[in-house]
Amino acid sequence: MALIKTQTAQPVAEEERKQSRDCANLIVALEDDNPTVRRWAARDLTDFPTASAALVNRLQREEDVSVREIILTTLTSLGDEVAVAGLVDCLRSEGVSLRNEAIEAMKQLPDEVAPIMQGLLADANPDVRIFAVNILESLRHPEVESWLVTVIDNDPHLNVCATAVDLLGEVGSSAAREALLRLKARYADEPYIQFATDLAIKRITEG
Amino acid sequence: MAATSISELDFEKFREFFYRKTDIQFEPSKRYFVDKRLVERIELTDSGNFRTYFTKLRFEASGEELQLLTNLMTINETYFFREEYQFQCLVKSMLPDITSRKSDSSPIRIWAIPSSSGEEPYSIAIYLLEYWAGIKNWDIEIISSDIDTKILTQARKGLYSQRSVQYLPENVLRKYFKRTAENYQICDDLREAVEFTRVNLSERADTRAYRNFDVIFCRNLLIYFDDVSRKTAAETFYDALNPGGYICLGHSESMSRISSLYKVRKFPEAIVYQKPLEAK
Repeated sequence: MALIKTQTAQPVAEEERKQSRDCANLIVALEDDNPTVRRWAARDLTDFPTASAALVNRLQREEDVSVREIILTTLTSLGDEVAVAGLVDCLRSEGVSLRNEAIEAMKQLPDEVAPIMQGLLADANPDVRIFAVNILESLRHPEVESWLVTVIDNDPHLNVCATAVDLLGEVGSSAAREALLRLKARYADEPYIQFATDLAIKRITEG
Repeated sequence: MAATSISELDFEKFREFFYRKTDIQFEPSKRYFVDKRLVERIELTDSGNFRTYFTKLRFEASGEELQLLTNLMTINETYFFREEYQFQCLVKSMLPDITSRKSDSSPIRIWAIPSSSGEEPYSIAIYLLEYWAGIKNWDIEIISSDIDTKILTQARKGLYSQRSVQYLPENVLRKYFKRTAENYQICDDLREAVEFTRVNLSERADTRAYRNFDVIFCRNLLIYFDDVSRKTAAETFYDALNPGGYICLGHSESMSRISSLYKVRKFPEAIVYQKPLEAK
């Protein structure tokens, strides 16, 4: 036995395929029993800007994490309104994995998520508001700090404010200082808020 | 105008941020190296000071400056037996595991990407021949790919400088290389043992045919990619690997921060990532 050389890694020609890779066939392939077929369908749907609805539909039912991950990557690449709305729906899912995967995907879409961020931060469900703050953690967008300031000034839920304060300690500037002091006064009896706001102000001042 | 300087606190802030973004951790001993490149970028971007530059780095929507800085902070160099502990892991842990599970005598397939000028795939070949007894019982295919056709031509030629071969044991150097006037020529047997192919990892048409691999080496490439491209590459590797197949990244890279598809395997020699055995 030995080191051998073969030529097995040649590009797959289109005519060798059983099915053409048009949008309709790929959407059908999203329902295939074989996860490899579903993964490749999800991957190839990147080329079809109208595919978001079908991908979102499959995402909600897909049980194989590897297929889900590729659907999310494709939705991130497409990044249209339907894709973003589908990701927002995932934030309301009971499935922890799907929710976290959607948060990670949305972090990659600063321009697309920005227009809906204020809505997410004002959502009736405090969990969704916390997930929205989680998205801000790595969202490269110039409004991140002002969104966080709005949260700590207005949000009635302690945990939402606490999550926002933690992040402000990391990304905030002196512009957040007054709002942090207001929050500290608002929750004068909450030891964690006292601790977190002091820490955030210290980091901002030293930074 | 006062010279730009990086304070201890600046360095710490940058170090923490850069680690979070790239998984690359700079020890305090790298302070001079890091400061020098930061100052260079602060001045070239007319940022004036660290704070302004750092804000740009964190919030720039395109992420271009972070990518540029990442490129500057990573030294693109390669040589034979670089990060040798992973080759030790290959012969002592990964291949014994793979062969124990194989139910037929089909070849074990290894994909090394990027090939660069060939040091890595040839190192794998040499390591298998020198340090893996299983080579007597198994056929091995090594395929190595790169996006750059010029570097592939160079890899196929197999001509190396003294610097490239400096960490090879003397007996290995004598056995597999011939000294030329200024360089070292790798032997024809090894040149013929590695298949070099041109692949753009971001191009689905290029990667679709790359399947049924048992081990993938992709070291110090993903750090140059943005988050989405890194994730896409991880997903491509997932479909290129057999269930239970392994992927080796560079020492400063972590699959756990890219994708949740792989299991972390902590072998005595190295930490590598495995496509779950039960994966379909």
